[in-house]
Amino acid sequence: MRYGAAVPLSTEQKATLLSKLPLFAGISGESRNRLANVAGEQQFAEGQFIVRQGQVGTGLYVIVDGSVRVVRGSEDELAKLGSGDFFGELSVIDQQPRNASVQAAEPTTVLAVASWDLLALLEKDPALSLNLIKGLVGRIRATGEQHRH
Amino acid sequence: MAMNQQELVDTLSGLALFADLSRPQVEAVAHKMTEESHPTGHRILRQGFTGTGFYVIVDGEVAVRIDGSEIARLGKGDFFGEMSILLGEPPNADIVTTRQLRVLHLGGPELEGFLRDYPPVMLRMLKAMAMRLRNANRWRS
Repeated sequence: MRYGAAVPLSTEQKATLLSKLPLFAGISGESRNRLANVAGEQQFAEGQFIVRQGQVGTGLYVIVDGSVRVVRGSEDELAKLGSGDFFGELSVIDQQPRNASVQAAEPTTVLAVASWDLLALLEKDPALSLNLIKGLVGRIRATGEQHRH
Repeated sequence: MAMNQQELVDTLSGLALFADLSRPQVEAVAHKMTEESHPTGHRILRQGFTGTGFYVIVDGEVAVRIDGSEIARLGKGDFFGEMSILLGEPPNADIVTTRQLRVLHLGGPELEGFLRDYPPVMLRMLKAMAMRLRNANRWRS
């Protein structure tokens, strides 16, 4: 458990953590370093909201340690995410308001990448865009409601 | 009726997917992809079967059918086939022409390289996917 650790993650540690995620697999070393440089470490206490439904997205979040609940409305828990999972990417891509809130289920550490930093990376590194497309496509198909191939 | 290359490039430039490309890039895309014409009632992709491709509709319309039930229609500027290619899975719907269709076709194995070569097209596709996922009414923020 890293929560409350006195020493923040170094850029190298961030790069290592991020490079383990499928989302960032195969991206260039330059992209990875840039990502690690712009990713901010944030800590949340249990029950704290990380993003709120209705807000326009400001970034992508990767869970380093802990877990979160994805909720819509007041009660409806849609999913639980843990270490290595990410959220917030849809709002970054389409700049629409977030359609769910995310709340820390326990003391949780995330790496946050601001929208403009992520978009700049997407334009520079096709491998990252391709990973993101594949992630979205997989989820669309998983809904069983998708309208195309 | 077949378009000449000039008309095809003009048409492609007007499609959302290619809107951020320069004219020479659109010309290269037109060259890279194969123009095809399909008659009404032709099944282009088949649910559950391999043998795929990426298609961009230049003119005409197709129906998307799952287990025989129509769930959507796609028209000019829409594209299909990319999901099964990127997932490496068979199509999970039939794509059937509802009238004469003109499409640009790219072989499945070429899609990733194509997207890497044209990052603006990839970004457009990414946005289209985000919209599709949102429309599927999921929770992702």
